[in-house]
Amino acid sequence: MKTRILVLAAVAATLCAGALMAQQARKTRPVNPANAEKVSYAELDKLPDWRGIWQPNLGRIGGDQPMLIGKYKKRYDEERAKVAANPQYEIPEKSNNCEPPGMPTMMTMPYSLEFVFAPGNIVVNQEAEMMVRRIFTDGRSLPKEGEIDPNYFGYSVGRWEGDTLVVDTVGTRAGQRLGEQGITNSDKLRINERIYLDKDNRNLLHLDFTFTDPEVLAQPWHRNHTFRRDRTWEILEYVCDENNRHPVDAEGQTHAAF
Amino acid sequence: MRSLVARAAIAVVLVTAASLASAHHSFAMFDQAKQVTIVGKVTEVQWTNPHVWVFLDGAPAGGKKGRWGVEFTSKVHLARRNFTTDMIKPGDNVEITVNPYRDGQSGGRFVAVKLASGEYYCDVGQAAQAFCPGGGK
Repeated sequence: MKTRILVLAAVAATLCAGALMAQQARKTRPVNPANAEKVSYAELDKLPDWRGIWQPNLGRIGGDQPMLIGKYKKRYDEERAKVAANPQYEIPEKSNNCEPPGMPTMMTMPYSLEFVFAPGNIVVNQEAEMMVRRIFTDGRSLPKEGEIDPNYFGYSVGRWEGDTLVVDTVGTRAGQRLGEQGITNSDKLRINERIYLDKDNRNLLHLDFTFTDPEVLAQPWHRNHTFRRDRTWEILEYVCDENNRHPVDAEGQTHAAF
Repeated sequence: MRSLVARAAIAVVLVTAASLASAHHSFAMFDQAKQVTIVGKVTEVQWTNPHVWVFLDGAPAGGKKGRWGVEFTSKVHLARRNFTTDMIKPGDNVEITVNPYRDGQSGGRFVAVKLASGEYYCDVGQAAQAFCPGGGK
């Protein structure tokens, strides 16, 4: 009997502690005012028309060269040398080929993007691997270091400067791909994006990245991408684990398994 | 003036399509300089993401008959490129050209197919489109 009471007390204490932790975690970030019972969608009418889906223009990326430093430069040079020596070599990146690459790679996959404008936030759907990202536009500030746990997509806050959406992202996990294979970010990465329609071609969307990472880059790295609009298609389902025949082995290499 | 200088300093980086074209794995495992045509009968079609797979019982010219695995792009891309599930079925006699695996496995990355109907369907890219001189299906 005594044991049973003790077990119950322990369970109750654990539940209370869990609830308290959840509350504390929530307290560190503001509640989106757009979660209120009644909100106006009228403001959304003033936003530019980004409807339809956006397909990346692959193969041509503008910007400048990354000025890598320290161990990040060393690794990049080593990996590139391995690729040059062995065309079959694949730079190890993920523990599983179906693991989502997170930010910033999510925005530049060879699949379609969709922007869903809502009160207080913008949801970005990436067709490949069905990735989703949220950009808060309710005026909140970025979390300070240590306020959020690093995660795949980081924490994004955006604001409109005229018809340009300016987004800052922090809090991505260290070790994700940054810009190209062989380059990874530290936990100090800050991503700035400027996203806007081309002034002469409304079916062309620009995404200008600035990556700032004091542990990886000697100076900010700019990379500019463009996307073309398709108003006729919709985002299709892409469940990567439906038929993943390319597991990654202990050496980070991928082989077909059929 | 400063902005002109800045603009001149911006280099356009050309990235090979191969390094970008997959969401799932790179194409390093395929020998893209080689093309092998397998003649045989389709045994299985896996209409799936992240890649569509077609298996056939067949052989390359002068080669031994065996089970070949052909990896296409995702069903998302194929749907947008007008390749539909009814175009290739188990039992069909086909000729499929692939970039073979570098490690010698019986398989490769899809390049082009002569379908049972006699029509061709080709992947995107110049090398693949060469198999579809009339535009293919």
